[in-house]
Amino acid sequence: MTLFKEVAMKKRGSVNPIGIKSVLILMMLLCFYLLSSQVAVAQPIVLGVPISRGYPDGVDAERGITLAVDEINAKGGVNVAGTKRPFKVEISDTRDLEPGVPVSEGLLVVERLIIEEKANFIVGGPIRSEAALAAMDVLSKHKKVSILSAGVLSPAYQKRVAENYEKYKYCFRTTGNVVPMIEGTIRTFESIKAKKGFDSAFIMVQDVAHARAAGTAVKEGLEKKGWKIIGYEVYPTGATDFSVGLSKAKEGKAQYLIPWFDMPEVSILMKQWYDMKVPALPIGYIHALKDEPTWKATDGKVAYSIALYAKAGSVATMAIPMTGAFVSAHKKKYGIEPRSEWTSTSYMVAYILKDAIERAKSLEPDLIIPALEKTDMMGTYGRIKFDPKNHQIIENGDPKETAVDMWAQWLDGKRVIVFPDKIATKSLELPPWMK
Amino acid sequence: MNILIFGFVNSVILALIACGFALVYGVSRLANFAHGALYILVGFATWLFLNRLGINYIGSILLSIIIVSVIGAGIYRLFLIRVKGMPASEIIASLALGIAIMELFRWRGFISEAYMLPPFINGSVSIAGVMIDWQRLIIIAVGLAMLLFLWLFTHHTKVGLSLRAIAQDKHASMMSGIEPDRTAVISLAMGSALAGIAAVVILPLGNITVETGYMVLTNAIAVCIIGGLGSWAGVFAGAFLLGFAEILTAAFIGPQWQMVVVLLFIILTLILKPSGLLGRQKELEERV
Repeated sequence: MTLFKEVAMKKRGSVNPIGIKSVLILMMLLCFYLLSSQVAVAQPIVLGVPISRGYPDGVDAERGITLAVDEINAKGGVNVAGTKRPFKVEISDTRDLEPGVPVSEGLLVVERLIIEEKANFIVGGPIRSEAALAAMDVLSKHKKVSILSAGVLSPAYQKRVAENYEKYKYCFRTTGNVVPMIEGTIRTFESIKAKKGFDSAFIMVQDVAHARAAGTAVKEGLEKKGWKIIGYEVYPTGATDFSVGLSKAKEGKAQYLIPWFDMPEVSILMKQWYDMKVPALPIGYIHALKDEPTWKATDGKVAYSIALYAKAGSVATMAIPMTGAFVSAHKKKYGIEPRSEWTSTSYMVAYILKDAIERAKSLEPDLIIPALEKTDMMGTYGRIKFDPKNHQIIENGDPKETAVDMWAQWLDGKRVIVFPDKIATKSLELPPWMK
Repeated sequence: MNILIFGFVNSVILALIACGFALVYGVSRLANFAHGALYILVGFATWLFLNRLGINYIGSILLSIIIVSVIGAGIYRLFLIRVKGMPASEIIASLALGIAIMELFRWRGFISEAYMLPPFINGSVSIAGVMIDWQRLIIIAVGLAMLLFLWLFTHHTKVGLSLRAIAQDKHASMMSGIEPDRTAVISLAMGSALAGIAAVVILPLGNITVETGYMVLTNAIAVCIIGGLGSWAGVFAGAFLLGFAEILTAAFIGPQWQMVVVLLFIILTLILKPSGLLGRQKELEERV
């Protein structure tokens, strides 16, 4: 008889056998739980998202990534060499869009996501070009693959990848580049000219680097095509009165008003344009017009104005089948349609990574980078392919072949796509005081 | 004509923005750097009452202005009273409170471009061939009404006279039984209400953003420095000088130079007449 049995027999009178059984069952259950949890919960793939959360652009990117990750995880996650692993999103505020916040703050956030949060990939931002360009060195140092999907339209990003591929091969971008964006803009204006016969414009831009550069490029591009530029005015960020510029546009008989602003106060310009009944069609990069509730908030004073989206997706179109499901899913989750282009681009980022990881069967950068370079999939803004030399998304063609931008006009309380023709859902309309 | 009409509107907007700041400083010698925050607080509160709680527009406006007045009084009673007499601490405390209020809105997600208040009357009217919306005309009417109200209040009511008395000679007023802390609370509450009135008439022109709060504070300070702290006439003179200077700059030089012109005016005022155009603050020192 073993010592254990002797002790057990001696104590039989004082120990409750039901209690011992309960303890044993509980221990077995605990062991089963611990073993099963190790088997069932695979290690998540961490997506570090450094974005400016205090600005609409950051919120848009956050919503897009979160929506896609929820969808992917609901379907079992990402198949990494036979193991289904979920995505886990770690978002951190870079504040890089806030005035006066130094670039270094954004860099610290990127580094913290890599070191402390053990991010496998960096996606979304930083959003401001200066911060994103500086973050390229951090990504290179940590050999961390990144896909930018919000802001950052500077051509310098892809130029650096092309010029020093070995160092910056970790950096991909789906947002676009201001050069093809301007080329697309000129093509769009030429298309309107052909349809409506208008050829004079008044340009109003925000006093920030990207808007000034874009405004100048549009001005030069249109002048080369024989357009009359009635005026070119630069407004400080936060300007709250546009009456002088609008009066000049009216007096100069400009047929187009080309605003290039990302500040929210541009809604004042739109309201003033409507109230002053300026006979020039507003068409340009007007960030404040992208929110679905804008119509109601302005009492419909944004009617007829047309905003450029660097990438399609925020408005459903039959030409890009995925947009319908994306817009519906966004509306269901957040109560509104996707706002800016950065929701669409950030939504696709998770799917692009999933696709690359499943083809690479690994999370290793050396295998992921070639897989990303061979990306070829349909998304919310057309066909997604990267230029393998500079990791820039290929854009501005047929949505069946490349990524495309979108021009949406506010008509009867809805945003409708009026350009490019291949994805347009309606024809451009003029306000009654221009007919 | 464009310049005249829109210059006038711009000037009245600046005067409305600066009124509350000038009142608080004029009476209690407190520079309320939370002024811009109180301005957007009224904007967001009105928006919330109107769109979330379903209260009608007038009710939302009145409720927001009452709330901001209470908050203004609370700012003095709970915070500024503890640092009174230490100008640097007063500025730091009120600025910190202002930043906290503004950034609280950013933190809570009030960052969409769709936060807008509806205009009181929709539509436009042509004045001498210039199309102008009714809301801007309402701003002019409210600005003039506010000027009249402030004059009547400070010259013909007991509370108003006590505010002026404190502003003119604190010690003599105290000997007459006027309690300085009580008048400071009243001035903060009134200054906040004036910021609120300015907000509800001006914000329907555009949208409500956190950045607006910072801009309003900057503009209020600029108007008061140029016009002269402690002088009602100075506030309006400063507002009209800056308002027309901005519009003329936009018309003949370029809108991007507007802020440069404002700063230039501030620098010139501080060099040539530090008390401002009609300020009484340092006149004696300047003469000496």
